[in-house]
Amino acid sequence: MGLLYTCLKYLVVSLWSIFVIAPFLWAISTSFKDFQSVTNGATYIPWVDFEPTLEGWRALWKSPAKGGVDIVEPFFNSIFVTCAGSLISILLGTLAAYALSRFTFKAGFIRNSDITFFFISQRIMPPVVLAIPFFIMLGKFALLDTLLGLIVVYIVLLMPIAVWIMVDFFNKVPREIDETALIDGCNPYQAFYKVVLPNSIPGIIVAGMFCLIFGWTDFFFSFILTFTEVQLLPVAIVALNSSITPWWSLSAAALVSVAPLIAVAFVVERYLSKGNLSGALK
Amino acid sequence: MAKIELQNIAHSYNPQAADKAYALNPFNMTWVDGGRYAILGPSGCGKTTMLNIMSGIVQPSEGKLLFNDVDVTKLSTSERNIAQVFQFPVIYGTMSVEQNLAFPLVCRNFEKAVIVAKVQEVAGALSLEGLLKKSASKLTADQKQLISLGRGLVRDDVAAVLMDEPLTVIDPDLKFRLRRQLKEINQKYRSTLIYVTHDQNEAMTFAENIIVMDAGSIVQVGSPSELFERPKTTFVGYFIGAPAMNFFECKLEGSHNVSFGGASIITETDLSKTGEATLKLGIRSEYIRIVETAGINTIKAQVQRVEDLGTHKLVSAIFDNQNVKIKVKRDQEVPLDSVSLEFPARHCCVYEKEQLI
Repeated sequence: MGLLYTCLKYLVVSLWSIFVIAPFLWAISTSFKDFQSVTNGATYIPWVDFEPTLEGWRALWKSPAKGGVDIVEPFFNSIFVTCAGSLISILLGTLAAYALSRFTFKAGFIRNSDITFFFISQRIMPPVVLAIPFFIMLGKFALLDTLLGLIVVYIVLLMPIAVWIMVDFFNKVPREIDETALIDGCNPYQAFYKVVLPNSIPGIIVAGMFCLIFGWTDFFFSFILTFTEVQLLPVAIVALNSSITPWWSLSAAALVSVAPLIAVAFVVERYLSKGNLSGALK
Repeated sequence: MAKIELQNIAHSYNPQAADKAYALNPFNMTWVDGGRYAILGPSGCGKTTMLNIMSGIVQPSEGKLLFNDVDVTKLSTSERNIAQVFQFPVIYGTMSVEQNLAFPLVCRNFEKAVIVAKVQEVAGALSLEGLLKKSASKLTADQKQLISLGRGLVRDDVAAVLMDEPLTVIDPDLKFRLRRQLKEINQKYRSTLIYVTHDQNEAMTFAENIIVMDAGSIVQVGSPSELFERPKTTFVGYFIGAPAMNFFECKLEGSHNVSFGGASIITETDLSKTGEATLKLGIRSEYIRIVETAGINTIKAQVQRVEDLGTHKLVSAIFDNQNVKIKVKRDQEVPLDSVSLEFPARHCCVYEKEQLI
């Protein structure tokens, strides 16, 4: 029974691992192929099934004039917009969440839970509902097709995530922590940044990770709100698709786009495995 | 250090409601500078609310709070210069033990030399010297609570040190030592210590004065011996002492006499002004004596069981359908059928409508 259970367990884990890893292996393999290797039937192993080439990778930083696709600028645009949007969202979201967790707000029938729901409700609507208002508003402020315009939109999209995660986190932080800091001589602001904030780093990391993932993978808004001046990575990758799909460059670009998230996942995973994201207070 | 006065203080967590439902009923109280007090009462009786009002965490719905005759009711927590230790350890997990202990002094801009000396002194008193450089989050629950205590004791200019059941998570052996140390610290610095607990032993061994609370009201204030000898209400009689005080439904018989189950009991209480015909007689199990022959102030009870509790025996008997508990020495022989019990007059308390006459 025990042996059967172990075998089944390993079988399920192995199948799941294959399911997760296979697309990556396929993309890595394809990124080293050329037109011939892709179109002449299924091939998998370099040097055995096909002769590897770096053409697909080289095309990524060659200018279109030289037959490349140049995703370097969109890559750094994406990094800038995602990081700026996430940082500001975390900053504002953490402050809002602390206030919602610790102070009581009343305005007519509106209470703290209603305000929290209002934040989260921004994510309930389908993105297409927001697209036209965003387009009109950014147009009015001359922010269409600019990095600043995208950052503003990303803050609107990412802050609900930060507020949602951080309200829940602060609600689990005992109020006695704040009260002790006040008793020890802090004013409410000092109690927040000297005591509560350092203890909330695990929550901030989780919220930051979600913001980065949602920001980095957004295609819809970067596609709608930019034209020629500014391009983000997801839009640049989709733009690769032409009448003859360059699977080799597309695979290389996909790997480049997923690399930062894998790096973030590794950093956070190490942090998670230390048990630092739970029970930090008591 | 300060004399603390609570004038007509009352608190309701829902003051706008038509029926205010006070968590703390209006009361007056003065805490003498340097005193060692315990607030004792069952859960939900308003002990923690009273403590939080003094520290400023809770603003009272009514009344004034004075520190050395200065009104501090509207002052913030940090401006009151109070130290408070909570029931469960509250530590700053991102700081070392040393930084935790120094934090109240750093916040108040004490000089570095003073901070170092004071942290060393408190760490020494609480046996934390070896842990000073360790991260506070890595310690055990009782070590963490020692840090909370240490942060409360590190400032010796505080108006009072308030402790809300601080030894709950501490091992019994360490608990005993810490109680003694708290007493010593109080004697050394003469800081006012107010200690909330629902453990009567803790209150009796720690405090000079005990405030017994029930349902949001102060029921009795007195020394441990006063509470034990002359409980002002039957609630205090039940709540203080192990086992609780014996109470018997009885009838008024004369100016100092009551009777129940055919037995007449003489007390030292003047009952001539008593209007009620039905009263309660209270006597501690420690003061009831087993005697060989029935005489004045004796009853003949049926022994139900005898329990050996290590240091003494606890005899449970029944008389006139009312239970009697008697504490006797371990080596005393106890008859297993009927037994004569003497109620010494000076230890008999008489209650009218649950209040001591």
